[in-house]
Amino acid sequence: MPDTNSDEKRGGLRGWLDRRYQVTPLFEFLRHKEVPLGSHWMGWYYLGGITMFFFVVQVITGVLLLMYYQPGEATAYESIRFLTTKVPFGWLIRSVHSWSAHLMIISLVLHMFSTMMLKAYRPPRELTWVSGYLLFLLTLGFGFSGYLLPWNKLAYFATTVGTNIVRSVPLLGNWLLEVMRGGQDVTINTLYRFFAAHVVILPLAFVGLIAMHLLFIQRQGMALPVGAKTAPRGMKFFPSFALRDVLLWMACLMVLATLAVFLPYGPGIPGMDWELGQKADPFAPAYPGIKPEWYFLWEYQLLKEFPPHLFGLEGPQVCLLLIALLFGIWAIIPWLDRRAFRDKPSPAFSDLGWAAILFLVYLTLTGWDIGAGGASSDLAAIQHSARVCAWWTLAAGAVVVVFRFLRYEHRWFFLTGAALLQAALHGLVGISYLLAGVISVALAAVAIAIRRVLFPQANEKDVT
Amino acid sequence: MGWLVSIVYPIIRYLKPLPQTGPTGPTRLTRDEASKLEQNKFVIVPVSGQRVMVLQSGDQLHAFSAKCTHEGCTVTFLPAQSVMWCPCHDGRFDLNGRVLSGPPPQPLTKYMAQRQPDGGIVVSQESA
Repeated sequence: MPDTNSDEKRGGLRGWLDRRYQVTPLFEFLRHKEVPLGSHWMGWYYLGGITMFFFVVQVITGVLLLMYYQPGEATAYESIRFLTTKVPFGWLIRSVHSWSAHLMIISLVLHMFSTMMLKAYRPPRELTWVSGYLLFLLTLGFGFSGYLLPWNKLAYFATTVGTNIVRSVPLLGNWLLEVMRGGQDVTINTLYRFFAAHVVILPLAFVGLIAMHLLFIQRQGMALPVGAKTAPRGMKFFPSFALRDVLLWMACLMVLATLAVFLPYGPGIPGMDWELGQKADPFAPAYPGIKPEWYFLWEYQLLKEFPPHLFGLEGPQVCLLLIALLFGIWAIIPWLDRRAFRDKPSPAFSDLGWAAILFLVYLTLTGWDIGAGGASSDLAAIQHSARVCAWWTLAAGAVVVVFRFLRYEHRWFFLTGAALLQAALHGLVGISYLLAGVISVALAAVAIAIRRVLFPQANEKDVT
Repeated sequence: MGWLVSIVYPIIRYLKPLPQTGPTGPTRLTRDEASKLEQNKFVIVPVSGQRVMVLQSGDQLHAFSAKCTHEGCTVTFLPAQSVMWCPCHDGRFDLNGRVLSGPPPQPLTKYMAQRQPDGGIVVSQESA
């Protein structure tokens, strides 16, 4: 029972606030809030806070950029050029904004994967996962809509390709395309719409969802390991964990500042640079080596791997269906993972997470033309690049498998194996990417079926 | 329900862009465009609101939609190989607009490019 008498007598700011807004329960909640320790590596718990830190940096630098940016056919590109060349520290603000966007996406992806690997999405935290998933989609939306705003050639074609994908949506495709673009083609109307989305619609939605996400976490606390009923020990959120959070944010700020100052236009890797380049010109052809941002490279490469027609549909339509399916599975994982639902180890979903990472790694590397010495349409160079990327993916896969086997005693590698087999069949043997995928998935399905029939108890022995 | 429709419908209608207006019919290349064609062997011009590539292979003029049928990037012309190439996803088209390789699902739409007696070049839709 709180001592209401002493609360009434409390002086100072807290007493003043308490007499007006009854803040004592909030302080009591924070005083008792604990972070579970001794079960996972503590580092996973900081990723959400780091992501939010980068979002705050985005908001501050975004507001500063708004003071000079002028959307318009004759002003968008020119205002960014003026900002980066004439305005004192304008280049720095833009560089921090760009780097922070990349770092935010990296920390968000790591946050989602760590949540998946630790099965923190299991009941009662399904909606925490879904709100986090929606925040992830909004972050990609931020990246995509912000890309067009400098109105340069790269922005123009990236937006043309990115928006054209929605044309494949059944029934609504053309309508969606026109609503997104403000017409049939990417024009200055598209920029106006993207500008509105980037600076008003998405931030409002993001803030609302973040509030919901944080509310869920505060109400339910952080997830315990699978099977654990209580945490072995805990750390006080205030001040111990919060101070560590702040310390990490300071470290992130230093990393961000270093990158922004020394690499103001990105690391110089195609798909990871933001030189202003030439102004958008709808009547100029796309230039060789044009690539989207690194986090869209896997989709870019997947679009390339689809033949013109498949199953009576156009290749891009089937590709969109596959991407929608993958994103759909990612969204509803808490409901698919029935073993985690019952608070039991679910090795298949841990393996699915690792397989997804390797699948994305191979596509991203090939999209980057690693090993081809830059973009090339020469068949021999493409095959050489696929070979190099396959070796890199296999090496990464081998490290992952050995690490999981030794560190976590995992024994379930069918999906990881399928992802690696697909990379090997495509990159080393030279068969088509899709056929390699079908063969790999079929073999994994057969292996899983055989395991279930021959060793029905094996799953129970698996961990995490 | 009616209340919801009365709110949502105007917003949906508002978001749908108005039909584009602008010059339609055949387009005559300007002096600048003609010199670009002479110099680069291709030029991209607006014809009835569409991006159209006019290219010169030998003595012959060809014209195609410059919008790749895969994801809508603007194609370029490679005179040495006599192909139109989309650098975005490596789609290639021959001088009839047919897909040679890569993921584009459809050929490029053909237009008509004609040299006039006065030396000017007029581009129009093929059916015209």
